[in-house]
Amino acid sequence: MKKTIAVLNQLRKKGLIKNYAIGGGIATIFYVEPFFTYDLDVFIIPSGTVKKQNLILLSPIYNYLQAKGYKWKGEHILIEGVPVQFIPADEFEKEAVARAKAVEYEGVKTKVMAPEYLVALLLRAGRKKDMEKTEKLLEQTKIDRRKLRAILRKYGLTRKFDLL
Amino acid sequence: MRGKKVSQMKILIRDNKIITRKKLFENKEKFHKEQAKLPFEEKIRILIRLQEIAKSIHKSAFGGKLGVWKIPSKSRSK
Repeated sequence: MKKTIAVLNQLRKKGLIKNYAIGGGIATIFYVEPFFTYDLDVFIIPSGTVKKQNLILLSPIYNYLQAKGYKWKGEHILIEGVPVQFIPADEFEKEAVARAKAVEYEGVKTKVMAPEYLVALLLRAGRKKDMEKTEKLLEQTKIDRRKLRAILRKYGLTRKFDLL
Repeated sequence: MRGKKVSQMKILIRDNKIITRKKLFENKEKFHKEQAKLPFEEKIRILIRLQEIAKSIHKSAFGGKLGVWKIPSKSRSK
């Protein structure tokens, strides 16, 4: 995964993305016990958008990666053996990307979404598997409850959280 | 048996050690929390082992193929 992260950092360095953070299952694993998952969800803030059509351009990223020899596998692009899914961040996710935690993986710098944002985003998604991850995060890692409450309030998720 | 009685139920484990059912679940909880504290790199190694196990089970049960991350051997299980 070290090489995969290095490629993500290259995308940022080359200006193909403005910023990124790892989210989803792998970000959750950063904070809790390992569990089965397959793809690496990378939330990105793309450099190019066609504002008039509200169109997000991911083609420059894919063209760059394909030129480097990385191939598609279903919805993922295989980067150094890891299936990566690029997810253009919405407003909520943009905030999560901006406030992501800077970490190192085998000496390579990367960013992982903070647990408070992960809990809130998983709650918003609301599938059974998301709720399982939420429970793991609440049980196995330190969550800043005040920070979490503020995020939940801002994005209208307080009631959903209280029903857990 | 209900409530407190169940939680105080005794279980004989290795080396003739006896623990209560309550203690057994407390230990499980402790184990999960300890696993959560492992370094990120170690967790990814465990994840790849899980992917390999899932792949072999899936193959024998359904004959299908599940993916395993193909990352350099240094990052895989020791």
